[in-house]
Amino acid sequence: MTKQEQILVCVGAASQRIGTTWPLYSFVTSNPLSGYEKLPFEDAVKEAAGFLKSNSYPSAAIYRQAFQNNDIDKPVLSKILQEQKLSKTPEAYLDMMEKDEQQPPNKTNSKVDVIMAKWLAAFMDEGLAEWQMPNKEKGFYAAWKALAVYDKDMGSLSLKQLPQTSIEALELVLSAYNEISYTTIFSAHIAALPGWTGYIKHRIDTNSIWQQHFPIDIEDYLAVRLTIANQLGTPLEMATETVGDGSILKLKHLWLKAWEVTFQNKLVADLKQNNISFNATKEKNTLPDAQLVFCIDTRSELIRRHVEASGNYETYGYAGFFGIAADYQHYQEDISIKSCPPIVGSPYKITENPNEELAQQDANFKAEKKRSKANAHILKRLKNMLPSSFGFVEGAGAFYGLSLVAQSFAPGAYFKIKNRNKRNYESFCDTVISYNGGEQDKEDIALEEKVAIVKSGFDLMGWNDFAPLVLFAGHGSHTANNPFGSSLDCGACAASPGRHNARLLATLANDKQVRAVLKATHQIDIPKGTVFIGAEHNTTTDEIVIFDAGVLNSHKEQLKTLKKNLNKARETATSERLMVVSGSVELAIKKSQNWAETRPEWGLAKNAAFIVGSRDLTASMNLNGRCFMHSYNWKSDPEGSALTGIMGGPMVVTQWINNHYYFTTVDNEKFGGGSKITHNVTGQFGVVQGNGGDLKMGLPLQSLKASDTEMYHQPLRLTTIIHAPLGRVELILRKNKHLVTLLDNEWMYLKVIDSNDSNDFKTYKKNYNWSRDAKSTSDYSLEKTDALELKAL
Amino acid sequence: MPITNHLENLNKSSPLSQFLIPLTWLMFLGSTALMVYYFVDFPTWSVGDLFQINGFSIVIWTVVAFFSAIVQMYATNYMKGFKNKRSFLLYCLAFSFSVMLFVISNNIILMVFFWLLMGLIMAQLIGIDSEWKEAQHASKFARLNYVVGSLFLAMALGLLAFSTGMYTKNEILVNLDTVPQWMSTVAALCIIVAAIIQSAIFPFHRWLLSAMTSPTPASALMHAGFVNGAGILLTLFAPLLFKANVLLLIFIIGGVTAIIAQFSKLLQVNVKQKLACSTIAQMSFMVMQCGLGFFTAAITHLILHGFYKAYLFLSAGEEIKNSLPKKPDAFVIKPLQVIIITTSAVLGGLIFGYITGKGLGLDSGLFLIFIVAISVGQVVYNILNQANIPTAQKLFVTPLMIVASIGIYALVFNGVTILMHDMPMASMPIVLTPVHIVFGVIFLIGFYMMLSGTYRKIPWLYVKLMNISQPISKSIVSFKTK
Repeated sequence: MTKQEQILVCVGAASQRIGTTWPLYSFVTSNPLSGYEKLPFEDAVKEAAGFLKSNSYPSAAIYRQAFQNNDIDKPVLSKILQEQKLSKTPEAYLDMMEKDEQQPPNKTNSKVDVIMAKWLAAFMDEGLAEWQMPNKEKGFYAAWKALAVYDKDMGSLSLKQLPQTSIEALELVLSAYNEISYTTIFSAHIAALPGWTGYIKHRIDTNSIWQQHFPIDIEDYLAVRLTIANQLGTPLEMATETVGDGSILKLKHLWLKAWEVTFQNKLVADLKQNNISFNATKEKNTLPDAQLVFCIDTRSELIRRHVEASGNYETYGYAGFFGIAADYQHYQEDISIKSCPPIVGSPYKITENPNEELAQQDANFKAEKKRSKANAHILKRLKNMLPSSFGFVEGAGAFYGLSLVAQSFAPGAYFKIKNRNKRNYESFCDTVISYNGGEQDKEDIALEEKVAIVKSGFDLMGWNDFAPLVLFAGHGSHTANNPFGSSLDCGACAASPGRHNARLLATLANDKQVRAVLKATHQIDIPKGTVFIGAEHNTTTDEIVIFDAGVLNSHKEQLKTLKKNLNKARETATSERLMVVSGSVELAIKKSQNWAETRPEWGLAKNAAFIVGSRDLTASMNLNGRCFMHSYNWKSDPEGSALTGIMGGPMVVTQWINNHYYFTTVDNEKFGGGSKITHNVTGQFGVVQGNGGDLKMGLPLQSLKASDTEMYHQPLRLTTIIHAPLGRVELILRKNKHLVTLLDNEWMYLKVIDSNDSNDFKTYKKNYNWSRDAKSTSDYSLEKTDALELKAL
Repeated sequence: MPITNHLENLNKSSPLSQFLIPLTWLMFLGSTALMVYYFVDFPTWSVGDLFQINGFSIVIWTVVAFFSAIVQMYATNYMKGFKNKRSFLLYCLAFSFSVMLFVISNNIILMVFFWLLMGLIMAQLIGIDSEWKEAQHASKFARLNYVVGSLFLAMALGLLAFSTGMYTKNEILVNLDTVPQWMSTVAALCIIVAAIIQSAIFPFHRWLLSAMTSPTPASALMHAGFVNGAGILLTLFAPLLFKANVLLLIFIIGGVTAIIAQFSKLLQVNVKQKLACSTIAQMSFMVMQCGLGFFTAAITHLILHGFYKAYLFLSAGEEIKNSLPKKPDAFVIKPLQVIIITTSAVLGGLIFGYITGKGLGLDSGLFLIFIVAISVGQVVYNILNQANIPTAQKLFVTPLMIVASIGIYALVFNGVTILMHDMPMASMPIVLTPVHIVFGVIFLIGFYMMLSGTYRKIPWLYVKLMNISQPISKSIVSFKTK
């Protein structure tokens, strides 16, 4: 192996651990430690903490809050502690943890980070700066090399000292070092700015248009960084931190377990209780007036409950991209976005087709679009140019003064005036599905594929009868002045609103040809009187907007009643969510329009469990928005293919989301975004804190905590509960190595309500072992080595 | 349950805000009422030798109360859950009071005291997060700047007091004739240094570029109500500046910074730094207006710029956008367009000159007309080149918009001028010199470079400007506390 090959191998190895930083215009909540998932949770967080200098567990203060609120059950905790021969009181252990946290933080004054952050931000900018970094198209290393000679921050540097390519630069810089230390050096330097390196990873993985034009990779990053470090005389080998006290970490791990077990016990007990009362009152067999399908998102739980209470309605949970693996092309925009989970490819493309009968609306829309683009362009030019910027400020200043008043006193009116010409194209466009790329690019897709999309939806949800109205409700969030807006959109649609997929599925299910094939070959008989309609659940205001432009008069009356009841549901749902008795809808609207609102809604905070089964399982329960829910009927899926899909897709996505919420809560500065109040938008895709520095990787504090010190989201690992025969679940697990790894390493938990064994609850243990749930305490046990470590306490 | 309680608190504003916000609006309304009532001939009220209130002070009071109220309304929501929210709100209020008391101070010791107090409070706001090391360094650096600025102000006033034997601003200004020329020059230079430190003019611009560690509403307050201190200070001491004959120097300092800052703005990759560069450029323009003898225009500019910048800071979260790489605009201009653009530019300049009364004589006012003319030309050029704008809009809406903008500006300008009628030498155009013409030409060259994009081909300039506009390094990632 040549030296260069050796270096490349080590770069590859060190890159394994990088987590992805997503752009905020399509912010996916993924596990920042996804690169560590092959390790057991406990070891992974310990190793990551060494590189990233991060916290791995909730702070003592958070544990104290949970303990005082009885979210950590005292008997459960005591039992877990006693099993480890830890006999002091919980309070004593809390004090110990607290004391451990009081160590002064490490000072790492690093000039290298400052210079790197400057150049990375400049290179990766996506159009915020009018004057882009020169030579960007040559790639990061080459562009930097061309400018480095002028950069006096690094002292004087001769152009001759810099090799042509990044790999040569690495070779030169590392010539004094032993090959054994390469991977460690690389890992440490990659982890020094995890936000920026995570964004490099994202650009490489997605090969975004910016990456195609202006390539950057980890070798470039390392070459520039190590060259700068060398130039500044900083040793390349960085001291790795010894991560706190091992026994304290262990202790914190036990407390986390106790918290999780408390939650699980409560949930299981409630489910059992519900099962008993449900069976007693089971009598319904009448067809509902309407059926509504919502995303598996935790926010759907609340609205489903209130919709069901508002009339004779049935609701379902389904992944919010409605099984359509596609990109979405915004009407009259250049940008097309991913509209399905990032773990799935996009063989299809959804586009909008203007309805010929409504050509006038279409023309108005296009004209307005052009006008607003032109206006924005002129405004930008005026602000940038010397000296017209001075004249502009004087001429337009008074107008900005009025806007200040309007935004402060009448944000609703301001919003209306600002968007007076904005129209939703949904009123005159229909969605069309075509192939995405390849030879058949832009061609209408084959009938069987349309049928397959519709059929798989009904299969996965275990659908039986069709009501006259069936609503597919995607969800989206509508907030003002919020860089993290897309983090509140549909996670299953790669952080974009799911309404386009919902509209498309409705169109396909209404298609006569599709219905004919469904009936003839798949025995799915959709009654003539059933109409499918796309909709959007606005999660900030709980309004459900129905895209009913194409609905025939025959259903208008029923639709009217439904809309009335949905408004009722909206009132009760917002009232519960915002904890106010009256004026809840107005309050929710205010939160969505107020430019100073940092907590317009809570997104998926509090998520802790994923329930796969029929709605009957949870029928009378208030799950407090803590559960993802996917409809599933084990009876109609004898071969388990539907369940395979659910466990391979939604279950993994929920684990991503849950782990993201966990890590951003336990270390918001490192894994999350920190406080919104000092955010500074960079490059049109991300935020930094204050004057700059590392790119922020995850959710901000205001999405996770009630205040700087009080928690809102409870950092618990996800518990999935599946209602199905145990054998079926295990068979699927045996075929899905990734899931087993996640479960064996305790990145998530799995329980099965075994329909073949009188619906008993069974919990997955390592290596395909299952334990029957004991009455109320855990049968948790540690291995011997763990017990040894704890002797120190 | 403590958590539930807190969640309910998220729906309403704190008792402190419920008291402070109406109070601030009341101050605003009170000042406005006074302004309207006494508009044409604003009287002068004195509190012994300590304070003196006149039309100028009321203008500043109204503006400061307005920004303070808007920022408080914003902050009461925005800062919910922030551990130091209470002290944040109190600092904001204290800051507003210190500005208001500064502008009415007549006693020179009070003047220096409130000038310093303004700075000290602003430094507190920059470092309001005490656990954030980078913020502490930014705060320390800003404080150092303000203290030095206050020292210069103290030196200037001390010198004048020593020479005249007077301890109030008014008496000093009346007795300027008794001050030896060298002494008034030194005093004027000290005033200039104090002023440009406050307004972050080159080479004292770095504290502002390092101040993004303050929460967004504090930045709005800083850029709308603090950084424009130079305009206020220079206006208060206009007679001294005339006597020391330093107006041209002021004009040059402003002009140089305006160009550097406006070019630096083009390469900023984060929103707040971009806004900060823009503020520096605008403040430089304000200083230039002072250097032209148009102190009333400078005051008008700082008010209108305050609206503009406060709005942009408060809405700085809107800047996330999924976009495509695009080529810079090409610079194309047809002969017919040249005629239309030139004609409208001249017309715009004339209208401006006519309704504001500036620059119709051959004096420094011409420079202001020149700026307006280029701006109008720029608007017309861009609109002409937009195929997407319907002809009707081009023909009717554009001129209407331009005339309306100039009209509204003139309204504010004339109002401010009338209210400032008793300020000595606040509107004294000076003789047009070759320096003005040189700067006019430099601005034109800058304008051409920007329009044609030639600057993009100068990599060393990119690095130079990039490094000039960096925050101090201890205020970025150095400690990784955030």
